[in-house]
Amino acid sequence: MKTIINVDDVSFSYGAQTEQALKHISLDVNKGDFIGIIGPSGAGKSTLAACLSGAVPHHYTGTFFGSVMVDGNDTCEVSLTDVSQIVGSVLQDIDTQMVASVVEDEMLFGLENFGVPHDQIEQRVSETLETVGISDLRDREIATLSGGQKQKVAIAAILAMRPRVLVLDEPTAALDPASSTLVFETLREANRALGITIVVVEQKVALLSEYCNRVLVLNHGEIALQGEPHEVFAHTDELRTIGVDCPRVTRIFNSLEADGLASGTPCLDVDEAERLISGIVDPAHAASEAQAPAGSPHAPSLRPHAKDAEPVLTFDHVEFAYPNGGAAVHDLNLTLYPGELVGIVGQNGAGKTTLTKLLTGLLKPASGSVRVTGLDTAAVPTSRIAREVATLFQNPDRQICKDTVLDEVAFGLELAGIDRAEALRRAQLVIDRFGLPADEAPFSLSRGQRQMVALASVVVVEPKIVVLDEPTSGLDYRECMTVMETVRTMAERGCAVIMVCHDMEVVSDFAERIVVMADGRILDRGRTHELFSNIDLMRRAYVEPPQVIELSRRLASSVSPAFAQVSEVTDVVRITKEMVRRG
Amino acid sequence: MVNVIDYMPGDTLLHRLNPVVKLGLAAAIIVGIFLSDTYVALLGFLALTLALGAYAGVVDRLFSLLKLLIPLALIMLVLQLAFMRDGNVVWGFITDTGLITGSKACLRLLGVALPLILMLMVTKLNDLANACVEVLHVPYRYAFTFTTALRFVPVFGQEMNAIMEAQTARGVEYDTKNPIKKLKLMLPLCVPLLISSVGKTDATALAAEQRGFYLRTRASSYKRYPIKGLDIAVLIVSIALIAIGFLF
Repeated sequence: MKTIINVDDVSFSYGAQTEQALKHISLDVNKGDFIGIIGPSGAGKSTLAACLSGAVPHHYTGTFFGSVMVDGNDTCEVSLTDVSQIVGSVLQDIDTQMVASVVEDEMLFGLENFGVPHDQIEQRVSETLETVGISDLRDREIATLSGGQKQKVAIAAILAMRPRVLVLDEPTAALDPASSTLVFETLREANRALGITIVVVEQKVALLSEYCNRVLVLNHGEIALQGEPHEVFAHTDELRTIGVDCPRVTRIFNSLEADGLASGTPCLDVDEAERLISGIVDPAHAASEAQAPAGSPHAPSLRPHAKDAEPVLTFDHVEFAYPNGGAAVHDLNLTLYPGELVGIVGQNGAGKTTLTKLLTGLLKPASGSVRVTGLDTAAVPTSRIAREVATLFQNPDRQICKDTVLDEVAFGLELAGIDRAEALRRAQLVIDRFGLPADEAPFSLSRGQRQMVALASVVVVEPKIVVLDEPTSGLDYRECMTVMETVRTMAERGCAVIMVCHDMEVVSDFAERIVVMADGRILDRGRTHELFSNIDLMRRAYVEPPQVIELSRRLASSVSPAFAQVSEVTDVVRITKEMVRRG
Repeated sequence: MVNVIDYMPGDTLLHRLNPVVKLGLAAAIIVGIFLSDTYVALLGFLALTLALGAYAGVVDRLFSLLKLLIPLALIMLVLQLAFMRDGNVVWGFITDTGLITGSKACLRLLGVALPLILMLMVTKLNDLANACVEVLHVPYRYAFTFTTALRFVPVFGQEMNAIMEAQTARGVEYDTKNPIKKLKLMLPLCVPLLISSVGKTDATALAAEQRGFYLRTRASSYKRYPIKGLDIAVLIVSIALIAIGFLF
């Protein structure tokens, strides 16, 4: 295989910073590769992507050692424009990538600049739109597109220039699971049909393991692991210490392997895992075990809320529509009791965010009523509701406005009318618990730490209800677990939690009830596991159920009913082992 | 939120004119308004703008813009009335000269704001930039800066809204009725907005460079913007409009 990008012993640090973002990285990108880069936040993933695309050292300056050769040219010696004729790159924030307001103009920009003969332009544009599957969007205004559509336009605009390598930095960070899969399908099409080499920074392990032929794990600026997805994800324990998640089915495999029940290459998707387990367990025996361990001691039990407890939140036949169109909601009914942790799932545009805004009083219902701790949101000001309801937003930068972490965390208490000395005292307690630097400026912290500051500001006000809007996006696995554990502790102390989240694994780990939404309506609500096992419902809501639940549902019908209602890795392993022992 | 300067697709003559000629027509109406000094001419120019808007199918948006401008115009009228001390007193502190100059100033304000907005509504920003580069020989980087700035207005508007929502949800009283209190509360938000803006601008510069921004020349544009017969006719009309403004 021919090498197209050769990275030789590259170290890089931004500006005068002493800490190196990359340390002695060596890497060959071969023609036709589909490489995935994963790692905890601050590991240097974006910096590595920037090195490959020439943005380092041309756009981001700093101290650069080693060399990056793109198709035989040293990126330090040729201009960024030269590099970008070979390596096309799609940035993290798509809105900033766009140069035009209409899709067609966006497509033309690169082609015109790079001097593609005008008689070929039309063909290039229409072919590329065809490949990416967005021919119907050609004349649309970019501002009116959904997140997934915009991402495809961004990719198409780069593909039209026929780069030989495409570098993408977290292209699915803001997308729901269905759109994320579509983006990766597009990349696979470009990789196979056009022979374009793909390098993608991505946090979603399930996508990486399915689409990439090579995975690179970065940690502290170094390559910790690399190889085929099967090889890399076999190192579950190592990955966990680094702070990278594994596909859940891979964990099942690894546990079984530790007990000598499985060997060979680990499984990465539900199909492989189903084959593995039905191969180990003899179905004839398993069938007779039908009465065997039904249910599971680990299944998340409904948190006992006092029988006559007053609900902290009720939605009663709530209707809302935006004046200019957009995600309207219809006939929402919902009751939430203290101590409950409820997940809201559904694809983008299903009305999930509208629901949370109705809850926080940012939107007032057109008809019906929303009552938060007995207050009618239509009758009291939003700032009053804020004393009862705290929101953790997807983007912490939108809520941070003070000069120090201490002031920032105390701000919410001061707004609630608590005097400054007391507010600072309480804020200090929470800051100590989170181990945050109290006197630093919040904006000088890393993205993950800023989210922790935002979380501390939520915890400190001791709200009755917490709303989480995509709490895990942009966070690595370890930060995500810290956030969710904190929230769970709050729920155990009697705070009600509503969580909007695209990561179904997180939802199934932490939520005991879910509400499934589509097209602005609540399709169903109930125990997390029951709803996730309802294939018909999941299909109607365009939600892909978590791997373990999908696996246990399939095993329950193909191997043994004992697998029904199982949602934890450890339970699948335990039941399998018991069956093998008895069989 | 629909932005007032967003492009409205259409196929009228006004849409099909060369973007530079549209710019010229708008400029001619504005110059005409500055030069003219009779009610007939001022109202005539205003009516012409609205008629063009109606023809291009964007008149409802022009009216919604007028709703924002009229209070501003009225404030100007009041100021003029208060400070203009010449002429005969009509009522209280109001003089007849004040009333005349004030009302003309109001009409000028409205007449100057609308033509440019109308022109932006019927022209894609990219076409405007490319045509300016091709016909007027404006360096592309200035044209790009201008269109990008216009394009970022709604983006920053959305960002500001999102920040305000986040702060309201924390309990900051943006829902207060007192405008001065609201303004005082908004000032600290400049920090997060500024930080995100600088980041976005930097990323845009990188994205543009990676797509060959520096290679672009006057001949790069795929679409051509020739001046046709119709365009010349409109240019003649524009000159006539300036002459009318001068005469009346």
